[in-house]
Amino acid sequence: MPRGQSTVGRVMAQVAMVMNLDKCIGCHTCSVTCKQTWTNRTGVEYAWFNNVESKPGIGYPRRYEDQEKWKGGWTLDRRGRLVLRSGGRVRRLLSLFSNPDLPVIEDYYEPVTYDYDNLVGAPAGPDLPVARPRSVLTGRPADITWGANWEDGLGGAPEHAGGDPNLSGEWAEKVRFEFEQTFLFHLPRLCEHCLNPACVSACPSGAMYKRVEDGIVLVDQDRCRGWRMCVTACPYKKVYVNHATGKAEKCTFCFPRIEAGQPTVCSETCVGRLRYLGLLLYDADRVGEAAATPDEQDLLDAQRGVFLDPRDPEVIAAARASGIPEDWLEAARRSPVYDLVARYKVALPLHPEYRTLPMVWYVPPLSPVLDAVTVAGGDQEDPDHVFAAVTRLRIPLEYLASLFTAGDPDVVGGVLMKLTALRSYMRAVSLGEEGNEAALGAVGLDAAEARDLHRLLAVAKYADRYVVPAAHKEDAAALSALESGCPVESAGAPAGGGVALGMPTLRRTPSEGPA
Amino acid sequence: MITSYEWSGSETGGRRYSPFVINVEHKKPWHTLTGRQHFFVQHDWMAELGEQLPVYRPPLNVIGHYGDEHLHEDGRAEVTVRYLTPHSKWSIHSNYQDNKYMLDLSRGGPAIWMSTADAERIGVRDNEWVEAYNRNGVVAARAVVTHRMPEGTVYMYHAQDRTVNVPRTEIGGRRGGMHNSLTRLLLKPTHLAGGHAQLTYAFNYYGPTGNQRDEVTVIRRRSQRVEY
Repeated sequence: MPRGQSTVGRVMAQVAMVMNLDKCIGCHTCSVTCKQTWTNRTGVEYAWFNNVESKPGIGYPRRYEDQEKWKGGWTLDRRGRLVLRSGGRVRRLLSLFSNPDLPVIEDYYEPVTYDYDNLVGAPAGPDLPVARPRSVLTGRPADITWGANWEDGLGGAPEHAGGDPNLSGEWAEKVRFEFEQTFLFHLPRLCEHCLNPACVSACPSGAMYKRVEDGIVLVDQDRCRGWRMCVTACPYKKVYVNHATGKAEKCTFCFPRIEAGQPTVCSETCVGRLRYLGLLLYDADRVGEAAATPDEQDLLDAQRGVFLDPRDPEVIAAARASGIPEDWLEAARRSPVYDLVARYKVALPLHPEYRTLPMVWYVPPLSPVLDAVTVAGGDQEDPDHVFAAVTRLRIPLEYLASLFTAGDPDVVGGVLMKLTALRSYMRAVSLGEEGNEAALGAVGLDAAEARDLHRLLAVAKYADRYVVPAAHKEDAAALSALESGCPVESAGAPAGGGVALGMPTLRRTPSEGPA
Repeated sequence: MITSYEWSGSETGGRRYSPFVINVEHKKPWHTLTGRQHFFVQHDWMAELGEQLPVYRPPLNVIGHYGDEHLHEDGRAEVTVRYLTPHSKWSIHSNYQDNKYMLDLSRGGPAIWMSTADAERIGVRDNEWVEAYNRNGVVAARAVVTHRMPEGTVYMYHAQDRTVNVPRTEIGGRRGGMHNSLTRLLLKPTHLAGGHAQLTYAFNYYGPTGNQRDEVTVIRRRSQRVEY
């Protein structure tokens, strides 16, 4: 429907996230604080609701982006209707007891602990005692052969990174893992809290749900029966099985903090200050239509088309009619996420072609391009050199396109052009020179917008980066109606009883957290 | 706080450590003749040795001084490489990189990063056990093979814990060492230029900088069966 003629449908609000990848240094503080908060329990030692990958690389779990293998996300059937790639209801029912598209522990990694007791209890001997690794699954001494961040800093890349599913197509044949051609960036990942979540649709028990109030996707521990269809359906592999309780667990977007108006733990502790949290208003009646957009490369625009301008009087009226409170509308107008995603259009979704309409977006990194400029003998500070690189260098542009634009290099190139023009303009201004406003105009920015975007990307303070309105007391009953107190479980007495997984449980003793 | 001039920050009130706070904010002069930061050192010995300004010096010619250090066992492939021990982005000296979570997020124990070419030369694949040795000591660690390392240089992160996942070495049969087992501070003439402002020795060498981070080591693949 063309805008202007249409009436706005049912308006919903979601707390969404943007990450500015140029700022990520791969310190893993987000992963560690997330783990300490949510998955420092028996049964989920291998699970990282938030992890940071080095790209190019195959990721965690291994090659999770290969949907030919893992069958995650949605696809269109012959009549153009959305269907889960893991199959329709019948196929999923038939594979209920033996789901072939499920990652096994080796695809994540075998979690270990160390014999720390030996450090203080070893008998006197000629050598310093050491703590050797021991599997927390079998209790036996273990060789560490893979991990949640095995490829950090391109470690092992010559052997493994060729298997990165994003390195397909003829351009990828030119990617050689050689010192002079190195490009690297870090990709922090968490649950995308999608508008069209495949995990929710795949759940046979109705245990997974997307909260009406803020769009957070959660697992009801009382209703989960451990079928694990969500694990297959999630193309980002961000639903995990707690193998002590047999139930699914996932990133909660730290909803107890969000409800209190606080940022998620990963955002709060981000050292590089690269995360942004804010509201996006969207037209719930148009989600299905957007997800079923025929051409994968149109999905980005289709998803942006679902987002609503919080300053548009028609949207405000419709939002009020849909019951969105005034302070949320005010927060939506101050949302840094809306600015980056919809106003300046510098943020892009991760793998829009999965058709789940993800709600954690990324400002693509300019640094691999700048590195490529230097390698090619150019000057990073000369915008013409960078523009030329964005136009001509297929690597790493095609790589970024396969991550963020379903393979369309023009869109990701356009964003990088915008960042380059902005960088060049603000550099000139900060040196007391006249900035080149013509170059800014060519990427669709004026001087005031450039300063605003620069402030948001470069120097935004805590209150500018995290605009999270607190939940309303009158919604408290609805917010907690489905929750069994905690969306994750300990091994002791899981809600609604445990689910037997038919897995060997040879663990020695339950280890509550790290030693 | 350790009483060295090097620790010139202030952590009062939970402030993040940053060097030279005492000098900049409290106007304490730097320990130089001018009281300011400077690169130029006006000292006869430094002039004589050509080190009045910072200069590049290659690592000591170990083969010339100590002879070929290779063990030459059964024709096993070995490679002589420069050995660096950089601080990692995950740690403040020895702190934090060896906690349980960071071990899960790395290779789970000591590792030596090396280039694809050097790894091929000694027949090592990613994550295989290697041993690095020289006249100072021996280290057993996993290899991290990456094209991000230039050929001829390896590094082992500074102060990985020696008590976690460190096996016995093939060479000598004792417990393997940590990054500093392969390094040694050698005195050079400029180190003896004492009593001259910033060249005065103090804890953590406040003077002509140490050279132990500029080592050379021999590295080879070892038996993949490790014993603790």
